[in-house]
Amino acid sequence: MTAEQRAKSLGVHLVLIAYSLLAVGPILLVVMNSFKVRSAIFGSPLAPPDAATFSLVGYEKVFRSSHILTYYSNSLIVTLVSMALVLLFGAMAAWALTEYRFRGSTALALFLSIGIMVPIRLGSVAILNMMRSAGLNDTLTALILVYVAQGLPMSIFILSEFIQQIPRDLRDAARCDGVPETRIFFEVVAPLLRPAIATVAVFTIVPIWNDLWFPLILTSSDSTHTVTLGVQQFLGQYITDWNSVLAALSMAILPVVMIYVILSRQLIAGLTSGAVK
Amino acid sequence: MANLRIEHLNKRYGATTVLKDINLGIEDGEFVVLVGPSGCGKSTLLRMIAGLDGVSSGDIHIAERCVNTLAPAARGIAMVFQSYALYPHMNVRKNMTFGLKFTGVAPAERERRVAEAARMLRLVDLLDRYPRDLSGGQRQRVAIGRAIVRQPAVFLFDEPLSNLDAALRVSTRVEIANLHRVLKATIVYVTHDQVEAMTLADRIVVMNNGRIEQVGKPLDLYYEPANLFVAGFIGSPAMNFFDAKVETIEGGRARVAGAGFLNLDLPAASLKVGDTLTLGVRPEHLVRGVNGPFAAEGIVELVERLGEASFAYLRRVDGRMFVAEVRGRRTPSRGETVTLVAAAPDVHVFDASGIRVAMPIASWSDGAIVQS
Amino acid sequence: MAEPVSNITAQMPRAKLAGLLLFFLGPAVVIYTLFSIYPLVATMALSTYTSDPSGARSFVGLANFETLLGDALWSKPFWNALGNNLIFFAVHMCMQNPIGIALAGLLSLPGLRLKGFYRTVMFLPTMLSVVIVGFSWNLILSPLWGVAAGALKAVGLGSLFAPWLGLESSALVTLSLISVWQFVGIPMMLIYAALLNIPEELIDAARVDGLGQFRIFFHIKLPLVLPTISLVSVLTFVANFNAFDLIYSVKGALAGPNFATDILGTFFYRTFFGNQLQLGNPTMGAAVATVMFFIILLGLCLYLFLVQRRIRRYAF
Ligand SMILES: Nc1ncnc2c1ncn2[C@@H]1O[C@H](COP(=O)(O)OP(=O)(O)OP(=O)(O)O)[C@@H](O)[C@H]1O
Ligand SMILES: [Mg+2]
Repeated sequence: MTAEQRAKSLGVHLVLIAYSLLAVGPILLVVMNSFKVRSAIFGSPLAPPDAATFSLVGYEKVFRSSHILTYYSNSLIVTLVSMALVLLFGAMAAWALTEYRFRGSTALALFLSIGIMVPIRLGSVAILNMMRSAGLNDTLTALILVYVAQGLPMSIFILSEFIQQIPRDLRDAARCDGVPETRIFFEVVAPLLRPAIATVAVFTIVPIWNDLWFPLILTSSDSTHTVTLGVQQFLGQYITDWNSVLAALSMAILPVVMIYVILSRQLIAGLTSGAVK
Repeated sequence: MANLRIEHLNKRYGATTVLKDINLGIEDGEFVVLVGPSGCGKSTLLRMIAGLDGVSSGDIHIAERCVNTLAPAARGIAMVFQSYALYPHMNVRKNMTFGLKFTGVAPAERERRVAEAARMLRLVDLLDRYPRDLSGGQRQRVAIGRAIVRQPAVFLFDEPLSNLDAALRVSTRVEIANLHRVLKATIVYVTHDQVEAMTLADRIVVMNNGRIEQVGKPLDLYYEPANLFVAGFIGSPAMNFFDAKVETIEGGRARVAGAGFLNLDLPAASLKVGDTLTLGVRPEHLVRGVNGPFAAEGIVELVERLGEASFAYLRRVDGRMFVAEVRGRRTPSRGETVTLVAAAPDVHVFDASGIRVAMPIASWSDGAIVQS
Repeated sequence: MAEPVSNITAQMPRAKLAGLLLFFLGPAVVIYTLFSIYPLVATMALSTYTSDPSGARSFVGLANFETLLGDALWSKPFWNALGNNLIFFAVHMCMQNPIGIALAGLLSLPGLRLKGFYRTVMFLPTMLSVVIVGFSWNLILSPLWGVAAGALKAVGLGSLFAPWLGLESSALVTLSLISVWQFVGIPMMLIYAALLNIPEELIDAARVDGLGQFRIFFHIKLPLVLPTISLVSVLTFVANFNAFDLIYSVKGALAGPNFATDILGTFFYRTFFGNQLQLGNPTMGAAVATVMFFIILLGLCLYLFLVQRRIRRYAF
């Protein structure tokens, strides 16, 4: 490397490091301070917690005065069940739309793609009415149904692209082998869609976990709140109690960050894979 | 095992017809190879036999049973794909047994068949491997094994060797030939490769543009191509063609002239003055000399030396090129004017519509070059 | 490249095909229709009704829309929210695309080290909930905590600090920038993917032709990722015009100060559910949602007919 090249590369790294700091700095700051005593939060906000300033008082408060564990389990249930259904029904529909020629298939594909662009939120008034009259108001089921409906169009779109990449010969070989159509889908095609899960997750699952709107309008009791809503309400209630607020924020951040760090390679590969161009 | 009969078969995609009135009978145990240029409809025909593509009109009979509307699995066929099409998430054993599960073969019988196929194809040590851990040749053998265990009436192969390297292609070709001998199976085999076609086939079907041009034994196609297309398609380098015209007819002999070759006499038979003909001579049938019923002349432009033979590319007086195979170590040099002759049986005559005209050899202008 | 479809349906009996389609498409179509399309349609239908205090509904045609756009009590906040929403969108367009392009361009430099690390870190905010992000920034920018003020002082710009989120003049732009900060990862990643898709030989050819890195980027790479940029823009448009979470979690339903940060999402929420100042009104809420639907539709149509048509997609 020549000196000029080295200088250039250094400059590039400086810019990237600066932006990386800007991206994680605020998150780091919140998490760091959540482990400190109040005086240290205000006295030296940029210092990491040490023996003198370390404190879990905020977390104790959150555990004591909110149902944070219920929120976690609600979020987990809603997200996982929605994800499973979005993937299953989305893959099944994508398979039928790409593999079988039938009259009206183009129209149906168009119909299903409306939901990619038009946010389902705009139908909230009617959704709330429906859920009320079906007795599903304030249940996780209501959330799951809405999220599945919301996630399906995008997942069908993404999974169709993946299914189209599966060699035609493979499906034809299975047909020559006498494998029934449903088995071709479940035993030959579905196992090959695993790489698509990451892409679907980025585009449909992350928004579900993070959503505030539908929990806000569809759930009213603590027992059905998700993390996002529960923490949001907690924050509003304890806004002056900085230890608790920072702890609550951190508790919403940390699980997501941990899962993200573990899966980031797949998630980013999913995001940058050919399916979304 | 079974015979296969195709009658007036057509295939249309929207407005385009990709197969036109295909008629073909294949005997029980016969090895038939489909050849033809890319896009001529070979794969389509094979896939229709398999039941993977629907029939637009016409009939397909397997073992004297019309299978037009049967699902692929009900037709008693097995297909081997160019891309192998192995299930990537199943090991070799599972790949071979997967299909049997659904056709009501008992587990013990499945194992027996897999064991037998594995022995036949030297796959015994590979049964627990996944396709990604196999070489191309091994994958192709697994794909063949998967076909064998189904004990089909008809095997369908779509360019099974074209993803293999040259050496492997030869050895797998031999293996397929052996397999055919052992299994005595009916096989329909699509290929681009002439050598494969010539060496494997009992009969070759030459297709072009959605039609069958000729069906025949390999050497029949080589020595008696039915038309210009087959003449040009079979053989490598391709046959040389010379445009010719009947100038005069005298005493039962037609004097034929054209650019690049010396005038010659043909038996008049049904020829008339003014008829246009095409004469075809294969490069390997042109030899250096001065005396022959057919003599062509050209200036050497390029010599390709292959070793046991060389190909000389010659420019004719009308500017077009023709090719001659030269044997031996001494090759003509560039710029040299060379005369090449061919024996009467090696000169193919085609009429204006491209159909081969059979010429009784005896009544050629017995060996004397008629100077123009 | 996509594989051709099998034509297996050609010789399948009709009943069998119908059964298969029902099996594979049924669940998705039913759930989607019932919980996505039907509510949209029902909401639009509801927007032509009004309800009296007893709860009885009566058909009023387009009267709700006349009220929304004509009655000052309604139209003032509506136009305010729409105007704010346009500013919100404009800030996104002006910031996230250039930043996204720049970061993606740097990330795609050949031979860059730590690429994976940078990508992971820079995409992290996008994974978090808007609520959490909004609130975290709320704390950081708060004069109470003084982190932002301190940081500015450290670089000698202490006098520039102001409680941006609290000021009527700067609250909206600040919130927009927070949103950009969070979501810039998406344009960055998609453009990065598009850049990676440009064949190496094309760049090599340009280099052989004597173009420098900058020229290559502006004359070759940028035109080739234009379709991605326009896709990102339309995604941003849709997201911005139904945004809600950020404003609600930082500023509450009243979108203060003095409605300076009110956008269509919060306006819709207040109209539908009510708040300290007014009672909830489902039919007017439905009317607001319907107007939002048509705004998004208008945006999509403009995109399809004006932008999409002119942009060429290049096949490699
Ligand atoms: N689904 C389809 N729709 C329209 N045309 C098709 C379809 N499938 C094949 N064709 C056309 O049918 C013709 C025959 O195709 P086919 O694949 O049978 O050719 P082939 O002889 O196998 O060629 P190759 O040697 O390249 O494999 C081609 O011109 C192709 O474009
Ligand atoms: Mg083919």
